[in-house]
Amino acid sequence: MTRIKAVRPFEWAFPARPAERELISALPDGDTGKPPLLFVHSLAHGAWCFAEHWLGAAAERGFGAYAVSLRGHGGSSGGDRLRRTRLRDYVHDVIQAAATLPSQPVLIGHSLGALAVARALARYPARAAVLLAPVPPGQGVGLAVHLARVAPAAMARAVIGRTVPFRPEHLFHSSDAAVHLFRLGAESPLVQYQLALHRRPERPLGEPPVLVVGAGEDRLVPPRVLARTARFYGTDPVVIPDIGHDLMLDAGWERPLTTILDWVEALEEPA
Amino acid sequence: MTAPEDVSSPVCVIGAGSSGLAAVKNLREHGFAVECFEREEEVGGNWNFGATNSRVYASTHTISSKPFTQYPDFPMPDHYPDYPHHSQLLEYFKRYADHFGLRRHIRFATRVERVEPAQGGVWDVTVRGRDGAARTRRYAAVLVANGHNWYPKMPHYPGLDSFTGEVLHSAQYKGPEVLRGRTVLVVGAGNTGCDLAVEAATNAEQVWHSTRRGYWYAPKFVFGRPSDQVADFWLGVRAPLRLRQWLFKTTLRATVGDLTRYGLPRPDHEPFETHPIVNSQLVYHVGHGDITPRPDLAQIDGAEVHFKDGSVARPDLIILATGYLPKFSFLDHEHLNWTDGRPRLYQHIFTPKHESLFVAGLIQPDSGQFTLAHWQTVAIAAYLRARTEAPRRAHDFRGLVRTESDRVFSGGARYTDSTRHHFEVAHQDYLRSLERTINALNGGRR
Repeated sequence: MTRIKAVRPFEWAFPARPAERELISALPDGDTGKPPLLFVHSLAHGAWCFAEHWLGAAAERGFGAYAVSLRGHGGSSGGDRLRRTRLRDYVHDVIQAAATLPSQPVLIGHSLGALAVARALARYPARAAVLLAPVPPGQGVGLAVHLARVAPAAMARAVIGRTVPFRPEHLFHSSDAAVHLFRLGAESPLVQYQLALHRRPERPLGEPPVLVVGAGEDRLVPPRVLARTARFYGTDPVVIPDIGHDLMLDAGWERPLTTILDWVEALEEPA
Repeated sequence: MTAPEDVSSPVCVIGAGSSGLAAVKNLREHGFAVECFEREEEVGGNWNFGATNSRVYASTHTISSKPFTQYPDFPMPDHYPDYPHHSQLLEYFKRYADHFGLRRHIRFATRVERVEPAQGGVWDVTVRGRDGAARTRRYAAVLVANGHNWYPKMPHYPGLDSFTGEVLHSAQYKGPEVLRGRTVLVVGAGNTGCDLAVEAATNAEQVWHSTRRGYWYAPKFVFGRPSDQVADFWLGVRAPLRLRQWLFKTTLRATVGDLTRYGLPRPDHEPFETHPIVNSQLVYHVGHGDITPRPDLAQIDGAEVHFKDGSVARPDLIILATGYLPKFSFLDHEHLNWTDGRPRLYQHIFTPKHESLFVAGLIQPDSGQFTLAHWQTVAIAAYLRARTEAPRRAHDFRGLVRTESDRVFSGGARYTDSTRHHFEVAHQDYLRSLERTINALNGGRR
């Protein structure tokens, strides 16, 4: 059993600022008895990246599928305060979105979104969690060094507080998906620093099942970082071959989604 | 009555208000079967406005701000204000019940009539449902969450019976209609008494507000932020009580100023020694002459009310905002270690008399209630689980329950002795204790 923490005076004294969040959904006809899915996007993305293919396909398989835009992203408010936004604001956004759903969702976070999900799990008893090409839950210095090697110019810009300028090969294995690059927005510089310099999240509440999924052609999150994340949750990563970091947009997006939905369907009913 | 049917494993939860709902959810999460009984048709208890035992009035808002008030694992929505209205709280409880699928474990419109211990540490609970028939079932444990802010505490003033006007307890107060065009005396300076005095100030012809002593009236906002959030920063840095008292007084002096200049009595105690009163408007209306402060009542003589300072008022209506007493009509007092007119329970939860009887929500925190009720019910669930999975730890904990049932969680302050402080807890002190309990019972590791 993990230790609980009930006293959080600084969080109470300085609660996250309220925001209005965009929540895009695709719903099946009628109640299928399957848990809702809440997708959380990555750095500079928005809920739109899941609306492109995944939400509709998940709804067709009978899941209530939702995607939230974190504050300052997509159609959510908070763009004017993005430079002061921190990771804890995103965690707040994930939990707020989860609490509006009809029942406890499976939280599915991608990359930076996976880090927000990992932290949200310590505050909210999710049904389960899926971490896609995740930023590791421990400190991310190793990841930062790796990124400095594969994308030195991008990293340099992040260091001076500008949004990481992704290039197509960073996110996509297929060149067809590169059109989505134009939809990327700005990112909070503080959050970009926190990717490397964050504390390890507290253990999840209620010990939910966790699935860690990696992309075989991921230029940003290398296999050993993926393995470290999986180890933190006592599991092994599932790697989807021939797909880039943005598994929901790249050619072959059906394969990771099928892996996720099969896993969720195989979860035991809560007693 | 038929012989009790044997349903030995489930836990019985009495009441589906703020504490009962948390109990159902947390016991379920710890793997227990639960059957909850609620006398009304809806969840929410006190916050179910209009229900028999609801004591909220049309204008009730929370006294503590959102971060202190919400369940820690189900935050209130961002679009709620800092201090939500009672209708928003009811909405919140309904969503909590739906989100965590609690309703299927709750039997609505069912009253608990009797709770009796049976051989082997189990309990026979007799309930009367919609059909009017009494039914008795056996439960492995009973968790009482029937609330303690609904049974009016009536004061005994000489001559109260002879009063020619109308007397109401705040329990009967639902909205300002009864105040319009009348002269009103509000008795009591709890948060309800202050709310009612303020409401009377804008609705009644004339208002007197009688209080036993001077109090510290904290504003709801200081420095543009909810005042409890400002105060908790100092708790977070572990500022000692004396320093916090000094900061409190300095902030109050700088924002509200000297209360005696408004004609209010000087507080006869230090801040944090009585239950906090958070009301920005009371002092404002006193300063506008809409409320006349008066000391304690001496006696009532027909139409005249005499105060201890010799002054006299002739109100049409007296509202007694004199508080509430806990009441457990279905359970003999001995089971709850009842002494000197109140139950004495370890952490206000665990009775030394029984291993499988618990009370949740029987606290008067200096902060929000539901956060604390959440951790109380987690502690109960952790204890029940330890009883089967780690009997040694459960046994050690029982030792504490037997010897420490008088412990006070005041954060170092000395509470003024009155019935309203029997269940008073300082939230940080109390939560630290619950945290230790839960982690010890779980054998927690990092």
